[in-house]
Amino acid sequence: MSDLEIWLTIGALVCATAITRSSFWVIGEHVSIPTRVQEMLRYAPSCALAAIIGPDLLLDPQGAVEFNFHNYKLIAGAAAIAYYLVRRNMLETIVFGMACFTALRLLLS
Amino acid sequence: MSSPDSLPDVAAHHEPSWRAGLKDGIPTLFGIAAWGLVVGVAMVKSGLTVTQALGMTLLVFAGSAQLASLPLIAAAAPIWVIFLTAVVVNLRFVIFAALLAPHFARLPLWRRFLLGYGAGDMTTAMFLQRYPTETPAAGKVSYLRGLLYPNFAAWQSGSIAGIFLGSAVPAEWGLGFAGTLAIVCITVPMVASRPALCGALVAGVTAVLAHGFPYKLGLLAAVIVGMVTAMVVEGIIERRKAANV
Repeated sequence: MSDLEIWLTIGALVCATAITRSSFWVIGEHVSIPTRVQEMLRYAPSCALAAIIGPDLLLDPQGAVEFNFHNYKLIAGAAAIAYYLVRRNMLETIVFGMACFTALRLLLS
Repeated sequence: MSSPDSLPDVAAHHEPSWRAGLKDGIPTLFGIAAWGLVVGVAMVKSGLTVTQALGMTLLVFAGSAQLASLPLIAAAAPIWVIFLTAVVVNLRFVIFAALLAPHFARLPLWRRFLLGYGAGDMTTAMFLQRYPTETPAAGKVSYLRGLLYPNFAAWQSGSIAGIFLGSAVPAEWGLGFAGTLAIVCITVPMVASRPALCGALVAGVTAVLAHGFPYKLGLLAAVIVGMVTAMVVEGIIERRKAANV
């Protein structure tokens, strides 16, 4: 992307924050969201985040699925999920996951 | 007797509430700064220049949407796809805003817009804990500010530190992976229920399979498939419950 395109993208992200965070504030009055719509709004973000994590952990730089022990990100990512489930601490989990990833990278390659 | 004149002034500065906001927010600041640091590193490691990364963090102020946009920017996806992806990741804020905004309905438009823009996950949760009802109360704005300003400052200082740190560290260290790990940490508590977990797993697998879709549309396709899965699973669980009663 060119410099201009990056700045246009940043502008688009500003709009995305403004629309989602500020529109109900601009309306001001109490608005009740139907339950069905609330469910969709609740499930969408976790699906989107999972859709980012999946390819990050499973695809190699060429875009092929790499489901084996040479995929250090997958192993370190799985270890980090387990660590988070036990400790529930974001910072520790990131340090732990990076340590696993770095150890695998240095020891095995 | 509540004539409109005797309603408490929500907007006037109220020192005890401002202090209470600062005090309640302090324990979260370290985590916020650390999360900002990770996003800062991830931005420069995905190829943004220092100026672009500073602009992004100061203007966008939405960590998960920023992280979501990075792989798409690196892959030169169309801007509308990046925009839609950020909206989807941010959709949880729509629910938060619907809960929070009515407390401040009487403020001027521009201030409402800015307060809403600044209110992220942590701020909303702590505010609603202290003020569960929409009844006007003195100091609501002061309390919200007491939460919001330090939160913004902690996030931005962490993020800016991360941007400079990231640009000083060699690429082989794979520090960008810290961004993925941060997303893992926000996602795990979101998928505590069975429908949410099924939806997220299906979305993750779909995103991998749909990786080659044109315009990087695989991610949005994965969100739709995952969301439908979550709602179907929820329907099945509810029907089972109803059958067992």
